[in-house]
Amino acid sequence: MSERAKTRTIRTDYLARVEGEGAMLVKIKGDEVVDVQLKIYEPPRFFEMLLRGRQFTEAPDITARICGICPVAYQMSSIAAMEQICGVEVSDTIRALRRLLYCGEWIESHTLHVYMLHAPDFLGYASAVELARDHRDLVERALQLKKIGNDVMRVVGGREIHPINVRVGGWYRAPTHAELQALVPRLEWALEAAVATVELVGGFDFPDFEADYEFVALRQPGEYPFERGRIVSSSGLDIAVSEYEEHFVEEHVERSNALHSTMIGTGAYLVGPLARYALNSAELSEVSRAAAAAAGLGPVCRNPFQSIVVRAVETVEACNEALRLIEAYERPEPPALEVAPRAGSGCGCTEAPRGILWHRYTIDGEGTILDAKIVPPTSQNQKMIEADLRGVVSSSLDLPEAQLALRCEQTIRNYDPCISCATHFLKLEVERT
Amino acid sequence: MTARRVSVACLGNRFRGDDAVGLLVADGVRAAGVEVEECEDEPTRLLDSWEELDLLVLVDAVQSGSAPGTVHRVDASSGTLPEGLTLTSSHAFGIAQTLELALALGRLPPRVVVYGVEGVSFAAGADVTPSVASAVPGVVAAIVRELEDGG
Repeated sequence: MSERAKTRTIRTDYLARVEGEGAMLVKIKGDEVVDVQLKIYEPPRFFEMLLRGRQFTEAPDITARICGICPVAYQMSSIAAMEQICGVEVSDTIRALRRLLYCGEWIESHTLHVYMLHAPDFLGYASAVELARDHRDLVERALQLKKIGNDVMRVVGGREIHPINVRVGGWYRAPTHAELQALVPRLEWALEAAVATVELVGGFDFPDFEADYEFVALRQPGEYPFERGRIVSSSGLDIAVSEYEEHFVEEHVERSNALHSTMIGTGAYLVGPLARYALNSAELSEVSRAAAAAAGLGPVCRNPFQSIVVRAVETVEACNEALRLIEAYERPEPPALEVAPRAGSGCGCTEAPRGILWHRYTIDGEGTILDAKIVPPTSQNQKMIEADLRGVVSSSLDLPEAQLALRCEQTIRNYDPCISCATHFLKLEVERT
Repeated sequence: MTARRVSVACLGNRFRGDDAVGLLVADGVRAAGVEVEECEDEPTRLLDSWEELDLLVLVDAVQSGSAPGTVHRVDASSGTLPEGLTLTSSHAFGIAQTLELALALGRLPPRVVVYGVEGVSFAAGADVTPSVASAVPGVVAAIVRELEDGG
């Protein structure tokens, strides 16, 4: 074989359909994948610096700006941390409303990814635009579902993006029964649409790939995890949120401004829908479990390409949970506890659509933030994305270049990586020598 | 004759340097008494109201190689943007795709005008480049005229 024939380069300049943009490099030498790198260009630590010197009550509003797709997650983790520092435990009624707000975000975020970003891969379309030309009904369904998620966020949070009603200690104003009841007919439609979504995506043709993941998620007995719980893993880890740093470390990666998280003694681990589902599928409501079973999902799913099915099941769960919470709603009175600052450090962790989002803050007696640390789900998954990519490419070397590049993109999209939390431009390069 | 239905939507991110310019325009347009929708997330949710519009005005930062602060006014009533005019928002589903999606779904308003302000620095935490910021009053005035002329 001539030298010329052995050297091939695949380059996809722009990886569309992930949140934000970043870069992925895959180097192949002969039949071997020699290097896989997820490159992050943007300093993700900007917000941690910005928070220093600000009041502890400002953390929910500031951190909500980190991501346009999952602002609720940032608010909920920051609030949990501040309330822990100040020794405040909110009432069940206040907490239930937080859970309802989170349902809205899951519906919105999961639907965006399932239909607009991920489904085109499986249906053979370059993007949702092409999908809409042939299957207008599917895209209309997606937009309606997304809108209902936004409506929940607007009614509970005050504004659909960057909810402004959230505060440390509770809410500026709790919605009335009538305001929440007005959501019910559309949420009932959404529940049916979400079940239909599981049926649709469950029928997709998935690449044959499984990995032996270390799953990490929250667990709260009696609930599918959203806004609270202990951190558990598939190998038996079971820790309080405040013990996170004793078991997980962030390593600075030279090529990237981001930090890669690893689990001490284990290495790469996976957070997000597959992990939540594997560790909590027994807590799903009956309708979600039935939808999952009908789509062929067992209690654990190890094929990352099937994450689209798990996201669809979690959308069913979010719709059903929203209906349950509205049915059981008791308007919190007062809507918030007064929270006096107390010097100290504390942690908060909640389940963002993409996985656990961990915050730690230190504040002084005046409530001034002295230090902030934020570990988003995508940075926790980065090592696992690289590992998946290595595995997928190794088993797909026979594919023509264009198909291999597409398979790489799909592998990244499986994670719904919210790279906008951490980066800007995403380019994919596959180099063969 | 029924009143014309118009919407002004400004996209951007206040924490990403020149990506804030769309939102600075929003501040100015609002100060001029015009209702504005701000979009700091992904723009497909804007589609919810497009079906009923006669005129849609969109504002975003762009990168096309022109001098920072250059204002591009593009008639996007066909649902497509000219090649080379890259809208820089870090949104999952960009404004160009959202316009194409609106066209595919029959939701594209009959008249769509996009104002793109050329940006140069999009780093998190960066200030808006002075020459970009100085373009804002002109864009605000142009949008107000646009609404008056067509109104």
